[in-house]
Amino acid sequence: MTNERRTNERRTNERRAPFNSANGTAHLEVMIGEVLRFGTIASSGLFAIGLLMALAGYRVALAQMLLEAALIVLLVTPAARVVVSIIEYVRERDWLFVALTLVVLAALGGSVVAAYYR
Amino acid sequence: MNLTSELALIIFTAGAVAGALGVALGLGGGIFLVPFLTLALGFPLKSAAAISLSTVIATSSAVSARRAGNQLINLRVGMVLEVATTAGSLLGGITAQYVAESTLQRLFGIVAMAVALVMAGRINRRNVIADPTADAGRLGGRFYEEESGGVVTYRVKRLPLALVASFIAGNVSSLLGIGGGIIKVPVLNAWCGMPLRAAAATSALMIGVTATGGAIIYYGHGDLRPLLAAPAVLGVQAGSWAGSRFAEQASVKWLKLLMAVLLIIVAVLMFVRSMR
Repeated sequence: MTNERRTNERRTNERRAPFNSANGTAHLEVMIGEVLRFGTIASSGLFAIGLLMALAGYRVALAQMLLEAALIVLLVTPAARVVVSIIEYVRERDWLFVALTLVVLAALGGSVVAAYYR
Repeated sequence: MNLTSELALIIFTAGAVAGALGVALGLGGGIFLVPFLTLALGFPLKSAAAISLSTVIATSSAVSARRAGNQLINLRVGMVLEVATTAGSLLGGITAQYVAESTLQRLFGIVAMAVALVMAGRINRRNVIADPTADAGRLGGRFYEEESGGVVTYRVKRLPLALVASFIAGNVSSLLGIGGGIIKVPVLNAWCGMPLRAAAATSALMIGVTATGGAIIYYGHGDLRPLLAAPAVLGVQAGSWAGSRFAEQASVKWLKLLMAVLLIIVAVLMFVRSMR
């Protein structure tokens, strides 16, 4: 597993070596990758523990809470990725992309409103 | 619906198969999971769509986390088109409560069939310029291509068309519980100048945010149950992890052909279902 990962990292570096990114996009891509990786591991871990506990009938109330938490982490991860993008575009003073990503975040906010409005 | 160990295992396995196929084709996997959950397990469409959306988010996050750094994902194109996909998914999530199921299924069947035919007709086309120093334009990109063994450049054309396709993709995503890559990827590839791998990677990133827009609404309305989502998400994660190994070896030509065949099957299934 660790060896495989190292190979992948080396391959990634080789891919990047022959050319340079025209803007700060490469940096943002790496940050987005970190956010998504953390969200994936956290939500999958919570889902796995919660599911096994629920199926075993062990502390079912806690299992339910873990599963709810897993789902919320899952839903928050893409939104967090958008927030990270906004911050990065602000730092780069790329106002067009600040505006575009803010609209995306606003649309997600609209979904939250729609979720509570029946 | 109570979750037994057997049901959990069935959902997990279905998720694994859907995830493996999905990642190999640059789709979310929902296109296979939703028909399975509704046709084989008898889940209501809303529940199946909600479960599927959670797996779409999981696949998107996991696959994009693995790909981040190799510049296959076109972040700028992704951010621009996400404006359209999230707007579409917000609208789709709201209208999902009112639109007749059979109408949607027929519409979906027509779209899937049309996309399949376009895909099949353009199997041998390439969009890349084999010159790493060529000007990619404001939205274009360049990446290392395995097949030719060099850095390739591409330009993005017809942005308004890409935006329209993304809006429809976002809408369909919420309504039917799929990622929407099924619509975006062929359009980006066939008409907007993006190589299949770049289009698929960019779409895979976008579908996470898109599906979140729809999933939040289903969750708020009580249609997204964490206990049912758990085995599906874990299955899809396992499947997409395995599938990403397969996808790197598979040729683009065969991926396109496989995608076209699968789309036709899904279209037929949707038509059959809408007749009931």
